Amino acid sequence: MLTSAPHRIQRVELRDIVKRFPGVLANDHVNFEVQAGEVHALLGENGAGKTTLMRILYGLYQPDEGQILIDSRPVTIESPADSIRHGIGMIHQHFMLVPSLSVAANVALGLRSTREPLLDLEVVKERVRQLAEAYSMLVDPDAMLWQLAVGEQQRVEILKSLYRGAALLILDEPTAVLTPQEVEEFFVTLRRMADEGHALIFISHKLHEVLSISDRVTVLRNGQVVKTLKTADTNRQELARLMVGREVLLRVKRKPVQLGPPRLVIQDLWALGDKGLPAVRGVSLEVRAGEILGIAGVSGNGQRELAQTLAGLRKATQGRVLIDGDDVTGWAPDRLIAQGLSYIPEERMEDGVIRDMTVEENMMLEDHGRPPFARGIFLNFSAIAEHCDRLIGDFEIKTPSRRTPLGNLSGGNIQKLILARSLSRTPSVLIASQPTRGVDIGSTEYIHQRLIAQREQGTATVLISEDLDEVRNLSDRIAVMYEGRIMGIVERDEATVEQLGLMMAGVPMEEAAGQTG
Amino acid sequence: MRKTYLVLATLLLAGMLLAACGGAATPAPAEEAKPFRVAVVMPSAINDLAFSQSMYDALSAIQAEKGEENFQFAYSDGLFVVDDAAAAIRDYASQGYDLVIAHGSQYGSSLVEIAPDFPETSFAWGTTVDTFADQGVTNVFAYEARSEQGGYVNGVMAAKLSESGIIGVVGPIETGDAKLYVEGFKAGVAATDPQAEVRVNWIGSFSDVALASEAAQTHINAGADVLTGTAQMVTGAIGVAKERGVLWFGTQSDQTSLSPEIVVANQVYHWEVVLNQMIDLIESGTLGGQAFAIDLANGGEVITYNPDFDLPAEVRSLAEDTVKGIADGSITITLP
Amino acid sequence: MIQDLLAPAVLIGIASSGIRLATPYLYATIGETFGQLSGVLNLGVEGIMLMGAYSGFYVTFKTGNPVLGLLAAIVVGGLMGLGMAIISVTFQAEQGISGIGVYLFGLGMSDLLFQKSLGTVETVSGFQPVEIPFLSQIPVLGQIFFRHNLLVYAAFLLVPVAWFVINKTTWGLKIQAVGQNPAAADALGVSVSAVRYATVTLGGVLSGIAGASLSIGLLNVFQQNLTSGMGFIAVALVYFGGWSPVGVLLGSLLFSLVNALQNWVQVLGIPIPSDFAVMMPYVLTILALVFAVRKVTQPAALTKPFERGEG
Repeated sequence: MLTSAPHRIQRVELRDIVKRFPGVLANDHVNFEVQAGEVHALLGENGAGKTTLMRILYGLYQPDEGQILIDSRPVTIESPADSIRHGIGMIHQHFMLVPSLSVAANVALGLRSTREPLLDLEVVKERVRQLAEAYSMLVDPDAMLWQLAVGEQQRVEILKSLYRGAALLILDEPTAVLTPQEVEEFFVTLRRMADEGHALIFISHKLHEVLSISDRVTVLRNGQVVKTLKTADTNRQELARLMVGREVLLRVKRKPVQLGPPRLVIQDLWALGDKGLPAVRGVSLEVRAGEILGIAGVSGNGQRELAQTLAGLRKATQGRVLIDGDDVTGWAPDRLIAQGLSYIPEERMEDGVIRDMTVEENMMLEDHGRPPFARGIFLNFSAIAEHCDRLIGDFEIKTPSRRTPLGNLSGGNIQKLILARSLSRTPSVLIASQPTRGVDIGSTEYIHQRLIAQREQGTATVLISEDLDEVRNLSDRIAVMYEGRIMGIVERDEATVEQLGLMMAGVPMEEAAGQTG
Repeated sequence: MRKTYLVLATLLLAGMLLAACGGAATPAPAEEAKPFRVAVVMPSAINDLAFSQSMYDALSAIQAEKGEENFQFAYSDGLFVVDDAAAAIRDYASQGYDLVIAHGSQYGSSLVEIAPDFPETSFAWGTTVDTFADQGVTNVFAYEARSEQGGYVNGVMAAKLSESGIIGVVGPIETGDAKLYVEGFKAGVAATDPQAEVRVNWIGSFSDVALASEAAQTHINAGADVLTGTAQMVTGAIGVAKERGVLWFGTQSDQTSLSPEIVVANQVYHWEVVLNQMIDLIESGTLGGQAFAIDLANGGEVITYNPDFDLPAEVRSLAEDTVKGIADGSITITLP
Repeated sequence: MIQDLLAPAVLIGIASSGIRLATPYLYATIGETFGQLSGVLNLGVEGIMLMGAYSGFYVTFKTGNPVLGLLAAIVVGGLMGLGMAIISVTFQAEQGISGIGVYLFGLGMSDLLFQKSLGTVETVSGFQPVEIPFLSQIPVLGQIFFRHNLLVYAAFLLVPVAWFVINKTTWGLKIQAVGQNPAAADALGVSVSAVRYATVTLGGVLSGIAGASLSIGLLNVFQQNLTSGMGFIAVALVYFGGWSPVGVLLGSLLFSLVNALQNWVQVLGIPIPSDFAVMMPYVLTILALVFAVRKVTQPAALTKPFERGEG
């Protein structure tokens, strides 16, 4: 494969970029600039316009107004092919890889071969090895992509861009899928690339990561640039305020709660994943009334399957689940709901709500068959209306009315609706799966407060999250899940990031504790 | 939305083309004249050289005889989907045709539901002997072909002409007209040369031409030097017979044109014999309840000989004697 | 009776008959494999085969030259493939329904043209069996493999060629990537639309040849609904073959050989009801599909239109 000699980009500038989508001004006269040798963080909540801006730079969208300048020369970037030609590479949040192909084939895809039309994978492999060595990113070019761990896949993504001579790399939320240790390694690689003269744009909403890796930060809010500042001159509190537009509680206050008897007991639970292989492998847990048990882990280690099994959506192949002493193993969701279980699903748009139905109807999905909302086979509309209006108020759900189609609400408000629906029934057991993923900071803060407050009602909560900070902030105890197993359970006050990180990578608890002293 | 429209447009276009395949053979009837109007629904094409063509040819013959001003007909062919055929039958009935013919045994269950809704219209169903009279239906005629008679004559000739003593049959599905023909053919062979072996291959389809051609290949590879077959997919078998130089006996329509080199003779159906009887009954007020058959005696079945094929005179006269014998009852065909 | 089936002449007959029957399936399945690998399910194969069969037949009938007939089938098949690509790629119509639309169009149009241009079943002199010198003289193998018409040989040569194109060329890599993860291919500058247009058009060309292999190869006739469902069997065989040329070869051969076998079973008078005999190929193919343990997953983006920027 021919790769252009890596030409250096000194400076890329986005000037007065405007991008409109139907009903939304995604980018409102945005100015942004990045230079060779720096890591420039682009910080903002979901929907702030970060990804749109970067997709414009990468040629996936066309700006309605504004200019892109590379080394002071205006350029038009009409497609990813254009941007690659200009030396721009993008590492997407969802990897742009083909699982059924080898690493080398993934790298070679879309490039001219030296013996066109035939493939020249040997040449590609050799060059991939050289690049991997140069940036100390271990990857076997012959491996099939689906065999690789997430961290390795990310390295393939970066190698792909470097192979194409990318001088500017756009990294869209690159750490979301990594363990804390992997994040550290990854940051070392980023630093090295910056030192070699690459320009890096780091998109994130995680404050501590932005603070630790970037040289400069640009904060976006509602499609506008709030401020660009030197990382060294700022701090967490200031960035959070710029991002949200008001002071934010970065840590939720927790009142101590008297724990009750165990409400949810899981004994040696096994379940199969979508591919028919065991995904949950002998999980045993106990959650007491008033307790939040956090389950940390890198995505894809069985958390999703565990949550679905507990919610009655996936069959347990072995083991038992007890709620308040009753064996509920294998119960269908409606019986579990009657037993007091609530479930906040990970895929909220798919498993949690129905887009085309109204806010009110969605709120009643679980309870429409029970009094006081039903009288016999008829719905009691006045009771339903009253209930919904109260929840909309209580949970600060921003919606024009309870009759608005749900699809018109933002992600944060939809999640608040699901939360309201779940908590309004004062559940005995709550399974909250990724409750704040893709939700803005304001709503996240609110959801966290409600989850904490729910402890006082005696609810036993299982909080499954890939966001380690969230797990650490909310949980009383933290279980770490790896390849379907629980690696250990750590008390809130004893858990260190390092120890949890090692456990997330598969190191058993005692060993992890030993290694981190 | 535009996607939906596009799909709809595609489907409509396809539907239009399908609809265009049927059609009236004559212009719409003028108001003042009162010609007799017949509509027919058929499972295969009007030019299939087999079952459907025999009906089309019969209607054309009646029209030629009576004149366009007195007799008109419309048809829908290629309706191998029974539901589509049922819809067409109902359409024709509601358009006031005097006689609606459901030309296919598979249409019976639809017809028995439709006919009572149009008590003023006469229907005909073939090939069968069932007029649904036992179900209280009074406006359905039944018709069939005594195809075993021509089959028997073909079998007599085949037995005489085969040198290997092995004769192959390519049939569609073991039922109805096809089954009758094959049984008659076997009886004819057995009566002429008890040593000869008749091998039958039912291919399970009325339309799979490729499989019919392979069935013929198989017969020839297994030693057959004379073939016959029935239904519209036998064109594939005739092609193979021509290529491999073995003899062919046709039925339903005259298949000589396909391969003048190897087609010996055909049993040809002349439905006009029974159709004329039905038309007379309808005009005198009887709308159904009777079953008709074409056979060698009433001239509804005719054996045609390929003029280009050098059939030994002795065989030809044996065949003609057999036809006479069947017609006058001196030869009786016993079917299993 | 059963042992008659094991006689050499019978086995040779079954094998060579199976090879002839497999030919149209091979063209159609390999064409469909390209389309499906790139993410487009074309259920219109049957309709394209019919149009290919008709146009190949008609041109051969008029000119007496089957090569010109084959060219006509290629052009017509390619145009219909292109039409399917326009509907499914550019306008992103639901693929299952648009494929049925293409089928109905081909079924109706081929019959309409046949009625208007020929009016009755005619025969032509199409591609004749060609005995390959030397090879055809090899006992047994020569009889089975080397006494067919050119379209049969070409169908079998197509298998390694297709395998090579899919696995060893940059275009093949693009096809696989576009079918598995079109967003990834797009992000690397591969035109998803261009790849899909090419594969679906190629699929149309090969379906057209599949039809011609019947009308001017195996049968030398054309009539209404000549293919009688072979195109739909072909689509099923693509799933059976796990989207690989070798797989669809095995599937096509299995289906055709069992069909050839049941022909012999009936001809030899082995006492099995004909209804069961004609079911054999279908039943065996389904059984093979159920019991074959394979880890093939279908192209992840199959039947999904691609629109840039949908995450």
